[in-house]
Amino acid sequence: MLKKNISLETIVISLFISFMIVLILGVLQNITLTQNSLGMELLKINESTTQSANAVTSVVTYFRGLDTLGEVTILFLAIFGISLGIDRSRPSKILNIFEEDNFLLKFGMKIIFPLIILFGFYIILHGHLSPGGGFQGGVIIASGFLLMFLAKENNFNLNHKILTIFESFSGVGFVLFGVLGFVLVNNFLGNFLPLGVLGNFFSGGVISIIYVFVGIKVASEITVLVEYFMKIKDEGKTND
Amino acid sequence: MTTLLITFTFISLIILSIFILLQKDIEQSVILFMGFSLGSTILFFLFSAPDVALTEAVIGAGISGFIFLSSIIQTINKRTKKSCNA
Repeated sequence: MLKKNISLETIVISLFISFMIVLILGVLQNITLTQNSLGMELLKINESTTQSANAVTSVVTYFRGLDTLGEVTILFLAIFGISLGIDRSRPSKILNIFEEDNFLLKFGMKIIFPLIILFGFYIILHGHLSPGGGFQGGVIIASGFLLMFLAKENNFNLNHKILTIFESFSGVGFVLFGVLGFVLVNNFLGNFLPLGVLGNFFSGGVISIIYVFVGIKVASEITVLVEYFMKIKDEGKTND
Repeated sequence: MTTLLITFTFISLIILSIFILLQKDIEQSVILFMGFSLGSTILFFLFSAPDVALTEAVIGAGISGFIFLSSIIQTINKRTKKSCNA
């Protein structure tokens, strides 16, 4: 609901701003990729170097693979910082967003949760063929666990040992494939696998394997993040 | 046709963002923010960037809205029933 005392001036100014933005948008639409830009160059060499149907994926994991490694490291450090700020020894309970147990959520979750996990793995594995990839698929898997927490199925708890193993092994695997590329083709994160045919599932060489590592790493990290924000302080149990 | 759709989505997103800023209740504002993310997903898709659209749909409309809601619930003051930063 809008505030009651909103003046005519605000509306006029906002309409003017939106008009200006639409004008800028119209100008932006006429700008096309020039022949000498970096994007066109990458699109040209994409088919011969990576055989990946999705050019964005080949930029993220092949042409700018080192940046992706830094991005994954930054995400890990962010989750690590949040885990330092949260006191895990305090008495905690699971956040109760709904007033009472939601029947539809509880029984619909049993059908939807496996489908969400399947969809996440589909997005990860088909990152080199269709839109998506490791990061998106990983967060989709984590949102499935968020649904599990919301439904409070059997006081759902995460096994942190298994999550730590998944997270660290995928991180190590990412670096290991980079070093393997450095040893075999003299290029960090370089491609040393057969490229295959454009459009096939087994194509793109090392891209899909790196994206599987990124996906598992992101899924476990975001799941832990969701758990940190799901468990809140239990005021009934504190004595002071 | 696509230009018309982009213009319509852009204008409605601007109006929605003004609604979000003028909201008195923070929880309602977070829910509207998730709607804003959904709108920007459509915008990214119309700009033919489906990878970014997928990321925005999952992060903006799903996880970040939940994190905001959880933070609001945890910082709420039980006696005054108001959020601390309100």
